[in-house]
Amino acid sequence: MDNLSLPASGATPAVDFDASTGVLVLSGESYPENAFEFFRPLLAWVHAFLEHSTGPATAEIALSYLNTSSIKSVMDLLDLLEAAHRDGRQVSVRWSYHKDNDRALEMIEEFKEEVTLPFFIVPSGA
Amino acid sequence: MDLFEIKEQLRGAGILVSFNGSFSHSLIEELGTAVKKYLESAEAKPSAMMDVFSVYIEAAQNVRNYSERRLAAGAGKADLEANILVIARRNEHYEISAGNTIDAADVPALTERLGRLADMDKAGLKALYKEQLRRERAPGEDGAGLGLIEMARRASEPLRYGFTPIDGGLSYFSLTVVI
Repeated sequence: MDNLSLPASGATPAVDFDASTGVLVLSGESYPENAFEFFRPLLAWVHAFLEHSTGPATAEIALSYLNTSSIKSVMDLLDLLEAAHRDGRQVSVRWSYHKDNDRALEMIEEFKEEVTLPFFIVPSGA
Repeated sequence: MDLFEIKEQLRGAGILVSFNGSFSHSLIEELGTAVKKYLESAEAKPSAMMDVFSVYIEAAQNVRNYSERRLAAGAGKADLEANILVIARRNEHYEISAGNTIDAADVPALTERLGRLADMDKAGLKALYKEQLRRERAPGEDGAGLGLIEMARRASEPLRYGFTPIDGGLSYFSLTVVI
């Protein structure tokens, strides 16, 4: 299966989904006009990856701001990972944020509340 | 036109950013970048900066999505261009205001929704937010239905809103969010 890689744009995050390692990187900010359109191929990729392979999936997320329709889409992504986790797949989320950004931390914690998979919140920045 | 007078009025009202016209996505993005840069240079607290930016994005995208829907439903262009967005600094608070023309038929439901939000405390708003986050999205829906809840959660006081009836079954909706 092909990797999925997109550079960040003004309102969309950088994406780097690697099928060989199962590492899914999302970083930057996300507030496109149509977040559902933007996330649809990402969700389809993750869905296919989880279907067609058995290796671990690790989401390495560094999203610092999401508009509400992006929040809904990221929730869909976490739901896919959560379902795989419940099926016994090795799945984890590592979400980093700048330690001064309280709002990002609150957002990440609210995502974490929604799932039971291993979810690590990692502060960064001196 | 005396632009100096307009400038003085804006300054007197504490208005930092104001835009009047039709919102495009690229405009929302550009204005957003300008808002962020301004807040950084004004050394706003990171949390206040995030709140202002987030409310700005939700307000602008709500207006834009609503206009798109009305346009698709055959509304005239002129009243869709009467969108206003203002960011002001007043009494140590940031205020984000958005105004747009809506169908008068949408006023009761919106009034009910805003009234409910105004009566909720932060815990109630969080619960409603989670409930809405978990609701199945109807096909063709352009937003997550979370925008107003998000604005209410970021606000330091209940959302202020008003409707001014206009001819032709329309109404002007103004919304102010105090951070």
